[in-house]
Amino acid sequence: MLKLIFFITFSYSIFSQEKIIEDTDRYILVGGFAHIGNGEVIENSTIIIEGEKIVAIGPSDLVIVNKERGKTYDLSGKHIYPSFILPNTTLGLVEIDAVRATRDERETGDLNPNVRSQIAYNTESIVSSTVRTNGILIVQITPRGGLISGTSSLMKLDGWNWEDATYLKDDGIHLNWPELHDFHYHGHSHVFTASDNSVENEEKEDVLKSLSILSSLFNEAKKYSKIKNKHIDLRLQSLQDLFNGNKTLYIHVNGANGIKESVLFAKKNNVKKIVLVGASESWRVTDFISSNNIPVILGRLHSLPNYTEDDIDQPYKTPKILQESGILFCLDYSGDMPRMGSRNLPFLAGTAAAYGLNKEEALQLITLNTAKILGIDNRTGSLETGKEANLFISTGDALDMISHNVEMLFLMGKKVSLDNHQTKLYKKFSDKFDIK
Amino acid sequence: MKKKLIFIFLFPLIFFGQENFPINGVKQTAQATHAFINVNIYLNYNEKIEDATLIIKNDKILDVGKNIKIPAESIIHDLTNFTICPSFIDIFTDYGQSNEIKNEKTIGSWNEALNIEYNAVNNFYINNNEAKGFINSGFGLVNSLKRDGIIRGTSTLVSLTYEKPNTSIFLSKSALCMSFNKGSSPQSYPNSLMGSIALLRQAYYDLDWYENGSTGHDNSLEAFSQNKNLPKIFEVSDYQSIFRANEIGEEFDDNYIIKTSGDEYQRIKELKNINRKLIVPLNFPNIDLPNDPYENLETSVKQLKHWESAPFNASILSENNIQIAFTTFGQSPTDFFNNLKTAISCGLSQKSALKALTYNPAKFLKVYNQVGSIAKGKKANFIIFSGDLFSKDFLIYENWINGKKHEINNKNIVKLLGNHSLFVDEKEIGDIQFNLANKKLVGKFSGDSLEKRFLTNIELVGDRISFSQKNNLYSGIFESDIFGEMRDSLSDWRNWRLVKNNRKTQSVKSPGIKQKDSVEILFPNMAYGLKEQPKRESLLFKNATVWTNESRGIIQNCDVAIERGKIIAVGKKIKKSIFRNSKDVRVIDASGKHITSGIIDEHSHIAISKGVNEGTQAITSEVRIGDVINANDINIYRQLAGGVTVAQLLHGSANPIGGQSAIIKLRWGQSAEKLKFLKSKPFIKFALGENVKQSNWGGRHKTRFPQTRMGVEQIMYDAFSRAKEYEYNIKNYKKNKTLKPRKDLELDALVEILNKKRFITCHSYVQSEINMLINLAEAFDFKVNTFTHVLEGYKVADKLKKHGASASTFSDWWAYKYEVNDAIPHNASILNKMGVNTAINSDDAEMGRRLNQEAAKMVKYGNTSQEDAWKMITLNPAKMLQIDKYVGSLRKNKDADIVVWSDNPLSIYSIVEATYVDGRCYFSVPKDKEHRTYIREERNRILNKLMNKN
Repeated sequence: MLKLIFFITFSYSIFSQEKIIEDTDRYILVGGFAHIGNGEVIENSTIIIEGEKIVAIGPSDLVIVNKERGKTYDLSGKHIYPSFILPNTTLGLVEIDAVRATRDERETGDLNPNVRSQIAYNTESIVSSTVRTNGILIVQITPRGGLISGTSSLMKLDGWNWEDATYLKDDGIHLNWPELHDFHYHGHSHVFTASDNSVENEEKEDVLKSLSILSSLFNEAKKYSKIKNKHIDLRLQSLQDLFNGNKTLYIHVNGANGIKESVLFAKKNNVKKIVLVGASESWRVTDFISSNNIPVILGRLHSLPNYTEDDIDQPYKTPKILQESGILFCLDYSGDMPRMGSRNLPFLAGTAAAYGLNKEEALQLITLNTAKILGIDNRTGSLETGKEANLFISTGDALDMISHNVEMLFLMGKKVSLDNHQTKLYKKFSDKFDIK
Repeated sequence: MKKKLIFIFLFPLIFFGQENFPINGVKQTAQATHAFINVNIYLNYNEKIEDATLIIKNDKILDVGKNIKIPAESIIHDLTNFTICPSFIDIFTDYGQSNEIKNEKTIGSWNEALNIEYNAVNNFYINNNEAKGFINSGFGLVNSLKRDGIIRGTSTLVSLTYEKPNTSIFLSKSALCMSFNKGSSPQSYPNSLMGSIALLRQAYYDLDWYENGSTGHDNSLEAFSQNKNLPKIFEVSDYQSIFRANEIGEEFDDNYIIKTSGDEYQRIKELKNINRKLIVPLNFPNIDLPNDPYENLETSVKQLKHWESAPFNASILSENNIQIAFTTFGQSPTDFFNNLKTAISCGLSQKSALKALTYNPAKFLKVYNQVGSIAKGKKANFIIFSGDLFSKDFLIYENWINGKKHEINNKNIVKLLGNHSLFVDEKEIGDIQFNLANKKLVGKFSGDSLEKRFLTNIELVGDRISFSQKNNLYSGIFESDIFGEMRDSLSDWRNWRLVKNNRKTQSVKSPGIKQKDSVEILFPNMAYGLKEQPKRESLLFKNATVWTNESRGIIQNCDVAIERGKIIAVGKKIKKSIFRNSKDVRVIDASGKHITSGIIDEHSHIAISKGVNEGTQAITSEVRIGDVINANDINIYRQLAGGVTVAQLLHGSANPIGGQSAIIKLRWGQSAEKLKFLKSKPFIKFALGENVKQSNWGGRHKTRFPQTRMGVEQIMYDAFSRAKEYEYNIKNYKKNKTLKPRKDLELDALVEILNKKRFITCHSYVQSEINMLINLAEAFDFKVNTFTHVLEGYKVADKLKKHGASASTFSDWWAYKYEVNDAIPHNASILNKMGVNTAINSDDAEMGRRLNQEAAKMVKYGNTSQEDAWKMITLNPAKMLQIDKYVGSLRKNKDADIVVWSDNPLSIYSIVEATYVDGRCYFSVPKDKEHRTYIREERNRILNKLMNKN
């Protein structure tokens, strides 16, 4: 066991801080096809980065550039995208699913609103670095398990330590709404001992019990501030920010009834900011969601339909339905293989484009919409003057596997390395076998 | 005097056979002769005689027919208005078998699921309550078996009686019983359906070995040997398993009587072809429909359709001349007969129903010479009833079993049924109509002076009747008329009399009328099922971008012609004249589209019933995925919509030597057998690393060998060594004059590998284990056909190339286990560039429908050309499955497995517009739209029907 720990820490130490140190804090990107992230494009753009920010962006013939200071890149034929944002992930909390010692995402117990992901975030995760290479730079690190799994924080996929990597501390609390029907992803099943894998339904009693636990908790939490001379209750204390709007309540729920129940529950309990997460059946209750103005973090599009008789492309076309209903929504990559697979986030947007959205609308689902829902759109999410220079250069269309290829990556104005554990092994063995 | 008396008593005792029970009081005998006259008799299910006579003596039928001589000593029963038919027989019950009696394993089979030496007769007891249910419903015989285990031992056929069990045993060993369910056995093996099948097959081979002089005593095999010629009853849980059981029956020349689950109408054509006897239940499904429309989404179209169709099962079976016997198993006899009425209203003839309750069950168990019809010399087992058989008015009065009468209803009811004039003090005051409602007698009074009223408290005791009508109390007796006294509400006593009206009263709706609606059965009978197989089309696709996978590469503005399930031409400007029959050719403008050969998923676990792993033992090469293909998996359809046409269904990776694979074509709607890619060669799954050493199974799994990679090598080395020895013994036992070796299904598969007749697909991750297996295979002089997953394959690409193994990998999965820490998404690209035949697989039902995107990632990771990336999910897997002669590229004479794409098939924006297998269009966007409409309408229609019913 000691050996194992040694090996892991050893191998990580190679990949600490990945910022490339250059003797400039000013970059001029000329001629690239800029996908702004708000639905617009600039076919021949010029972008100026100074310090952490984009200080200018526009069509090349309109932006006046002083090229004397800083580094200029000619990007004609290339594409520029705002960096992708991945909500609802456990990157940096878990390294290897099967190795228990590397799992830090799930605390025991039902009610852990006070448990915080920020301080467990592993900046040296070798998985994170492979995700970064595909253009994802900001992530919402989210605890799992129980009825209330804990408090998430927004982190950068680069940093010396968790403090350094923090993008927005304690952005929200995550509630797993109890549902009768288990909508969990049931595609991949490597069962060693089993019969038919049918969808398992929760017992109605257990669901009612869970609802009653939640209801009591929120009742207590609402009165907590009024108690004089109180003993400290970390759980109730952490919930206070839901009532004043400092934290968002992220409700993880999939079924149509669950969506309605949980939103009404949160509203009744004076929760100011509510976001639905998962919401695979949201397309059935779009009127309810849009009339209540609830944003949605839509669960992984690359999933099987929930029911046999659902349209076989239902998960793929749900974005189109939500878009037409005027719901603010974005995409996550939770489910099976959630961390290692999350580098495929852009291809989920690609699928949304294949099934009805235009490509720029689809791009919004992993950039500006996500930033809006996570409350960071004033800082990032699109290529706009005054926002942070979180962006990357791709050889081609970044939503399609055959053309997505990140050539350069900027996080808050600094270039970030594209190397990772895998690219290094690739190089090592390509060299061994002398192949290109 | 004393002597004489003894003599008289002794004589009949010898005649009847002796008993060994002490008698309490004076010996009673049943030696009477009964004559039933003026009665209609069903001699058998097919023949009915009117106004006839039946004579029984003791427990036998002495004579039956019209105008026959009635012996003088006969007790006469005038049965005018009654009918007689043979008592019913249920040959699948657990009547009189206690679950508390645990199987006592004797010196016998190693596996407790092979409970062959159990004999139901040994533990049989009389359960009066259950007996009453059967007797009152008209049953005379039931077969009692213990439903526990894969081989369950023998059943016993018993006459229904409330007396001593000794007298009730009709046939002590009536059948040998089997199933795929291991029952109460606490052993882990088998834990999958395919394991059950393998265990049963091995038991048959062991029987052969035992009978041919194996040394050692074995109670299980001894019992198997003794009972092997009995009829065999095989219980299955769904219709697909009927065919699975039948396969075993064919292999060992056993004609199973198969106890079904009531859904077999769903594959009627194939069922008719195998022509097996069936025991069929009538316990139709119930659906509790939640009120909440979102909750009732959980009620599937499949459930709804089955709910609607199940009552038609029996009639569909009998229309197709399949021999069926009914069983009440799983429901009460009363519910059974209620459902039988429904089945009759759904088209089952009364004759077929009677046959399934008398003739067939008797024939199945080979006792028709004694029961199942009414004929001279047979057992006096019959029922006396009124009304049409199984109709609403069907009421049983007496059930005679072995010549012994069981009274069920008062025969005077017959005299009451119908319309009567009620006279009080010789004055007609109204009519009384007596009817049966749910086997209860109801009477309705209608007269001028009084409002309509139902009679209450109708009670028949012997020949006496009493009832009340309003406040009037009636008491009377049955003679030719029915008459008596009544006390009216003023406490006055008056005389009354009923006089039967011969005029027909309101015509009661005759049951047995065929319901207007019949059911539409889909293949499979669920959402997206097909009404019929798509036609094999003659098609000419014009002006597409064609990915040939041949030296011609990707051709623009190219045509593809298919006919009779084959590709007949690929090239520019193909003319219709090249078709054999150019009249039927449909020309499709495919400009702007891309056409490819179908995707082949080398590593899939879809369409497998009840267990992907027989993960209980380290070596399970005896199990076969081919035995458990589930043709009803919706993922077949969904993957067609992703362009997949062929898949290798693999055993899981729970053990070093897993089970035998099945390669299927995705012919949606066909039966499991017809999904098989018949020209493919046999494959088997091996596995290495964390799964087989149970690293991630939890703390309890620390005892099965192997627990390390070191152990994996040894267990494989040992297995192949044993296989060589086994093969030697089989070849040389005659020469060496040793015993014929026991046929071992597990070693047979390994011998095939050694002889290069079966090919390995080996789950593997790290380079050390890959290298190990290459070395091991070379030591035994065979080749590992395919390393699957092979995520560190890139580290030993040169070794894979040299050995000649193929590699089938994921595009970009990693980090879920410790052994995949060095997996890289560039793996396939490196392997491909090193000249290893490389495929991308899914291992996942979801990813299986996006394999084109997974292949596309190889363009991104490692700069594989688009053409090569595409081959990784088509031609390359075809090569590694050794089916590239038939599929994998677009070339003349290959199978017409083709896909039409909206765009470059490697692009995320590309959508499958149509998928053809063998020239049949199993998926297309317009057809899919039709499915969706149909599903919505069908769901609505049946839901409404269900709601109206509830």
